[in-house]
Amino acid sequence: MSSKQAAPLPAWVAAVNAVSRAFGVFSAGLIVLSIFVVCHMVFVRAVLGQSSIWQTEFVTFSLVAATFLAAPYILLSRGHVCVDVVPLMITTSARRRLHFVGSVVALAFCAVFLYAAIPWWWDAWTTGQTTPSIWKARMWIPMLSVPLGLGLLCLQYLTEIWLVLSHRALPFGLSTEDKL
Amino acid sequence: MTPLMIGMLIVVVTVLVLATGLPIAFGLGAVALGFMIAFDGWHAVHFVPETVFAGLDDFTLVSLPMFIIMGAAVASSRAGSDLYEALARWLHRVPGSLVISNIGACALFSALTGSSPATCAAIGKMGIPEMRKRGYDDDLATGAIAAGGTLGILIPPSITMILYGIASETSIGRLFIAGIIPGLLLTFLFMAWALFISWKRGTVLVDNDRVYSLKEKFELLPRLLPFIVVIVGVVYALYGGIATPSEAAGVGAMLCLLMVMVIYRVWRPMELWVILRAGLCESGMLLMIIGTSILFGYMMSSLQVTQSLAESIGAMQMNKWLVLAAINALLLGAGMFLPPAAIILMTTPILMPVILAAGFDPIWFGVILTINMELGLITPPVGLNLFVINGITPDIKLQTILRGALPFMGCMVVAILILCIFPGLATWLPTRLMG
Repeated sequence: MSSKQAAPLPAWVAAVNAVSRAFGVFSAGLIVLSIFVVCHMVFVRAVLGQSSIWQTEFVTFSLVAATFLAAPYILLSRGHVCVDVVPLMITTSARRRLHFVGSVVALAFCAVFLYAAIPWWWDAWTTGQTTPSIWKARMWIPMLSVPLGLGLLCLQYLTEIWLVLSHRALPFGLSTEDKL
Repeated sequence: MTPLMIGMLIVVVTVLVLATGLPIAFGLGAVALGFMIAFDGWHAVHFVPETVFAGLDDFTLVSLPMFIIMGAAVASSRAGSDLYEALARWLHRVPGSLVISNIGACALFSALTGSSPATCAAIGKMGIPEMRKRGYDDDLATGAIAAGGTLGILIPPSITMILYGIASETSIGRLFIAGIIPGLLLTFLFMAWALFISWKRGTVLVDNDRVYSLKEKFELLPRLLPFIVVIVGVVYALYGGIATPSEAAGVGAMLCLLMVMVIYRVWRPMELWVILRAGLCESGMLLMIIGTSILFGYMMSSLQVTQSLAESIGAMQMNKWLVLAAINALLLGAGMFLPPAAIILMTTPILMPVILAAGFDPIWFGVILTINMELGLITPPVGLNLFVINGITPDIKLQTILRGALPFMGCMVVAILILCIFPGLATWLPTRLMG
């Protein structure tokens, strides 16, 4: 680990990390809520013999939202699975360069996705799109999670790139002893 | 450029991009987006949000986080050690009971959690020291647990099979049922090998040192039976058509969370957060890979790569078993570097037309593919289970663990061959139960 690692994080990095954690907790809450709603749906159908109206869409949209909103937190906690064979075979300085290249590719994807997601969401908001079901869920609500999550994901990637380039974090979280 | 040449270019670029170590989800998305822009122009970016969102807006996918939470809840408790201890107490008079208990506990615990690394860690922590103490060689003790842990992705409910079901658009309930007999077959092969090699090496197979009273034998069952009842209930609800996989998984997750809170007293907020965090990270990661792999599949299809590949293989008029052998070799190669989720989501949309054209049953192929993915979990350089075992037994060299796992890999290959000769082992039960 670099000696600089002990230094306090700049305010903008700490702020991005804090928001990512908050989004992570919110997403976990959405998953718990989905479990309750699925159980409620089974109860309504199997015990009360009634048809479910809103539960299927609510659960599906909640989990889509959780996927996008939790993505920055999962990046922060190194939960996104990757192929680390090459990083494990090279030196730390080469790892730093490889990490930069990979992160820029990922950031570019997220940024272009965000660029396309904003007008896509705006269209749903301005036209008042709803689902074709009886519930008529307003589509802009679940769709908002896409630009929100991707926007924070881009910021989280910027912090990750900056931390590695400024020697405050190890590339891929691998120490010098980590070898194949 | 012909679609096949584009396909080869896509493979090369994907390998290079993933080799940089970036998250697989974003790597797949970047490759898909890059080729869409290169061949269809900049306006193609506007298809990205719609394609990914529509792909994830599927109630079947709800089963993923639910089953993951269910497994994370069980894995966070002491259920693993109780399961191992209970089997050891009941079977200790049977020759080779220690090995049988270990592999049996792996099979049951992996069915409860659906997680290979969690099974290796939970059972291995007790099973490996116990086996070493009783004179079993290090390679056998570690290899048996590394291989036993892989059973989780075959024995239902299995996350890997859910992913295959989603990618191949086949019934998840049918896949679960199809995995039962092959799972038992593989468990039997693992046990048979472990017993044979223990006997050949002259290990004392009968434990006469300890006698367990009936009270000792029964005292752990009340803690374990509720979990086993939930798993059996989930599979029964699926095959009986009582509930969809998502509904069964949702109720199973709720029951497992409640049982962990009541039976194992896991109720403090931080303890519950550990379960939720594990579930959130794994399901978020998988769903993001699913989203971008749908984009990847859309790109391959819009560039006519998938269709051309299936037509070319069909035109070659190759022997269908040769096609299957080539596919298995490809999957095994990929399994040495990539996690099962990524392989299944990337390759299934491409392989499915080939499999169907060759006349293979997609449910049967799902089982073959899953066993192949199991092989990848104990194959270097990134065999996850090998590293988990190495982490809990740092005094045993990785080479020793690998040497112990090698014969079990042979058992998996034998299982694949048996399933090729007798495909009914995978297809009979779902046909019998579900029509």
